[in-house]
Amino acid sequence: MGTEQEDGGRAEQHGERYGSGARGVPDGTGRGPQGGHGARPAEGDGAARVLPGEGVPAHGGPGPEPHPAPPPEGSAPAGGWVAPGSTPAPRDPGRAAGGAVPAGPPAVYGTSAQGAGGPPQGWDDRSRTGPGAVPGHGQPAPAPEPPRTATTYGAPPHDAPPQGPPPYGAPPGGVPWHGPAPHPGAPGDVPPYGAPPHSGPPHGAAPRAWWGPAPAEGPEAGAAPGGRARDAAPFLAPERARRISPRSMVVGPINQLKGLLVPIAAGLVLGGFNAWVLGATGATVVALLVGGFVTWRTTRYEVGEDRLEIRKGLIRRSRRTIPLERVRGVDVTSTLLHRLLGVAVVRIEAAAGSAAATEDGKLDAVAADEAERLRRVLLHRKAVLTGQETGPRAAPGGGAPEAGEAARGEAQAPPVPEDDTVTYFAMPRSWYLYGALSLGYLLTPFAVLATLFGTVQQTAGELANDFVVDWVTSSDRGFLLVAALVFAGVLVLLMPVFAVVSYALTHWGFSLRGRDGSLVAERGLFTRRSVTLERRRIRGHELLDTPLERTRGAVRLRAIVTGLGDAANRAVLLPTGPRPVVEDVVGRALALFGGTLKRHPRAALFRRLTRAVGPFALVAVVAAALGAEWLAVAGAVLAVLGIPLGVDRYRALGHGYDGERVSVRSGSLSRSQATVERSAVIGWTWRQTLFQRGPSLADLQVTVGAGAGGYTVQDASIGESVAFAAQVTPEMVRPFLEDPGAPGHKG
Amino acid sequence: MQVMNTPPYDAIPDPDRPRGGPEPGDGEAARLRPPQSRVSSRAIGVWTLRILFGSVFTLVLLSAVAWGASSLGWAWIPFSVQDNAWLLPLAYGVYALLKVAIVPSWRYRVHRWEVAGDIIYTRVGWISRTWQLVPVNRLQTVDHTQGWLERVFDVATLEVQTASYAGSSTIEGLDAGQARRLSEDLAVRAGALRDDAT
Repeated sequence: MGTEQEDGGRAEQHGERYGSGARGVPDGTGRGPQGGHGARPAEGDGAARVLPGEGVPAHGGPGPEPHPAPPPEGSAPAGGWVAPGSTPAPRDPGRAAGGAVPAGPPAVYGTSAQGAGGPPQGWDDRSRTGPGAVPGHGQPAPAPEPPRTATTYGAPPHDAPPQGPPPYGAPPGGVPWHGPAPHPGAPGDVPPYGAPPHSGPPHGAAPRAWWGPAPAEGPEAGAAPGGRARDAAPFLAPERARRISPRSMVVGPINQLKGLLVPIAAGLVLGGFNAWVLGATGATVVALLVGGFVTWRTTRYEVGEDRLEIRKGLIRRSRRTIPLERVRGVDVTSTLLHRLLGVAVVRIEAAAGSAAATEDGKLDAVAADEAERLRRVLLHRKAVLTGQETGPRAAPGGGAPEAGEAARGEAQAPPVPEDDTVTYFAMPRSWYLYGALSLGYLLTPFAVLATLFGTVQQTAGELANDFVVDWVTSSDRGFLLVAALVFAGVLVLLMPVFAVVSYALTHWGFSLRGRDGSLVAERGLFTRRSVTLERRRIRGHELLDTPLERTRGAVRLRAIVTGLGDAANRAVLLPTGPRPVVEDVVGRALALFGGTLKRHPRAALFRRLTRAVGPFALVAVVAAALGAEWLAVAGAVLAVLGIPLGVDRYRALGHGYDGERVSVRSGSLSRSQATVERSAVIGWTWRQTLFQRGPSLADLQVTVGAGAGGYTVQDASIGESVAFAAQVTPEMVRPFLEDPGAPGHKG
Repeated sequence: MQVMNTPPYDAIPDPDRPRGGPEPGDGEAARLRPPQSRVSSRAIGVWTLRILFGSVFTLVLLSAVAWGASSLGWAWIPFSVQDNAWLLPLAYGVYALLKVAIVPSWRYRVHRWEVAGDIIYTRVGWISRTWQLVPVNRLQTVDHTQGWLERVFDVATLEVQTASYAGSSTIEGLDAGQARRLSEDLAVRAGALRDDAT
């Protein structure tokens, strides 16, 4: 515990040297300390205390003094060390370190200051070594803690001390201390990182060099000398860069190989396994493996304070930066292969500038638990950044200490705080049977057969054809007929079975949970996919059913989400199930439409009927006139079938408003009732065709910036639909209403 | 109360208040009045020429087909068709003439627009009509475009887009200067009002 004054003095004196180093280390401080301690324990200690005692300023002192402006007193605010993150940081360090190694952090400073000549080197070493190394030095720096602290600092932007080096920017490369950076204040310091010699944190320092200085990440990378410790870092601090799982080296090539399997097999068979073909095959496999290796080595992702960066590529490098605020969802998918290897694919969906363009980030593949962690971290940060949640965001100055404490409090806790998961739904066994109600799944056997034939044809080609032709021509006719009938019969009988089985495969263990302001739907046996939909982006829901499903009172549920690609699959919130249960889940997870739907005028029935029957009737008449009997009959049959269809379509029509949500229903073969919040209505469009003008009908489209973009109220009475719109969004419609008193002038 | 940050037109749903308020309530009918402003009358010229060019192109195409059908003597074409092939371009020609004569002025009477209370209200179409309301605070882009024909007539097209494809509205045939001013005003206003635009 040297004297405070002394420290100050030293700081000033040596400040310059260290200072430089110091700045580099911004966050590093936290860690640095440890390393530092080892080096010059005695002095360090003294220094350390000083700092703490003096408060932040002290630390800063040393750093700043050096180059920039000679800090008033040694105590001068800018922590030499900490330089970047410094000012605020100091306190934290004190605390964080405090618990475990009170003297710790300070020591560091001290060291730097004092050890004019020597220290620098020392630092460097340490820096490289990372926290792990530190302990060795004698100073029992709690490995885990330091990182946190560091992180914490990093987080608060404001930290940036007067000196220049922006907190983050500064230390990208982990090179931090290298302090080689001569002048602290000088922006130039920052660059050093980019250049980080060897430095680096174990993970990737080298690669980083190529990628050049990374803006925001710096701190983490630099900060995170010790990989594992980092995991426990507080959520908001930038994290170190990570690699995708090494197991992706296996998954990637295998997946690519799958696509090449048929050609390769064909080549081998047709080529008679000759040396050339074998060689080419071998080369392909090797190339794929090398490709997998390169992908693994070069793909790196980093969760920064406010962004996610994914860098990849060896020759053609790419870096995708996704601002966390723009993250719309994080999907975790794993195929059977992925699951065997315990990895998963993470897809981060982000909205680009305009809602139309979305840019996704894809990590193929990371360890399963890392995928889960990533999902939560990203969503949590996003929530904090967008102000939906108050996160442990270190506030400038005062806030920092608390953050530090918070961080410490959760020593081993996962990055994201409380787990507020609510399970809304877990699939009961009996629900798999609903698969038999889905036309898509009922047709599976045929699809499978078709693929099978396709594959055989492709691979065996002529051979198989000849064989089949031979067999057909040589067999007895009656036998063939019977065989075909039996085959068809079996197929039809098996349809429901296949349907249920294939449905169960894709919907296995369907669950819907709520967590961190998002809904998470997970399903699948072999390929398990989990889709996270941010609640804030959910504008409503759709209940869908087909006539087949209606016979069993079953419905499907889909969310209406802003900017969601592949909504048909990804917006599915529940599997097909009985309406009351589905509605109950909707009521709990979202919000149910509480009003009643208004029927549409009778004239709408006429229109539905003419549209359902008309075209076929016309075809039938024309065909009959031209003497095409088959066509005429088919047309007539369809026209007759059109009658119940039209009636059902009419009965499906309806729209309503319950004070908060608008609901619109239409369709028969695929009936859908869409319910959206009133605030999601971003416009109205009425369309009136010539035929609708007579009966005063119009199609009213409710514009919604989500889901299908618009939901149409078909054939509503135009007057009633205008009143309806005015009731839902008076502000939007009323200014344009005709004065009821004035003589009507129809637009 | 609950939703303070929602768009201005998003009045607070008050459960106690009878739904829809005193004005247009349940089951009642209301009417939209036509938007106030017409587009530039020069737009008629643009539409006329546009329809004319399109029609001439189609007419030439159909004439070529008719000529081919009647004079190349392809066996697979029934004689009745070969003999009467000239009817096709003729019928189309009559239709096109009527269209050129009627549609532009008809459309001019229908096309109207208005911006009031931060809502863009448009009416377009001729036989089928479309009325559209787009709140300015949900605008994402405001495009002001001028094709070569439009430049000849010094008119322009203004297209506003929202987060929904269904929420895009187009005003054709505005006076070019007015369109430019309008697009700037809208962009500025949208920027000022903008919420998350979805």
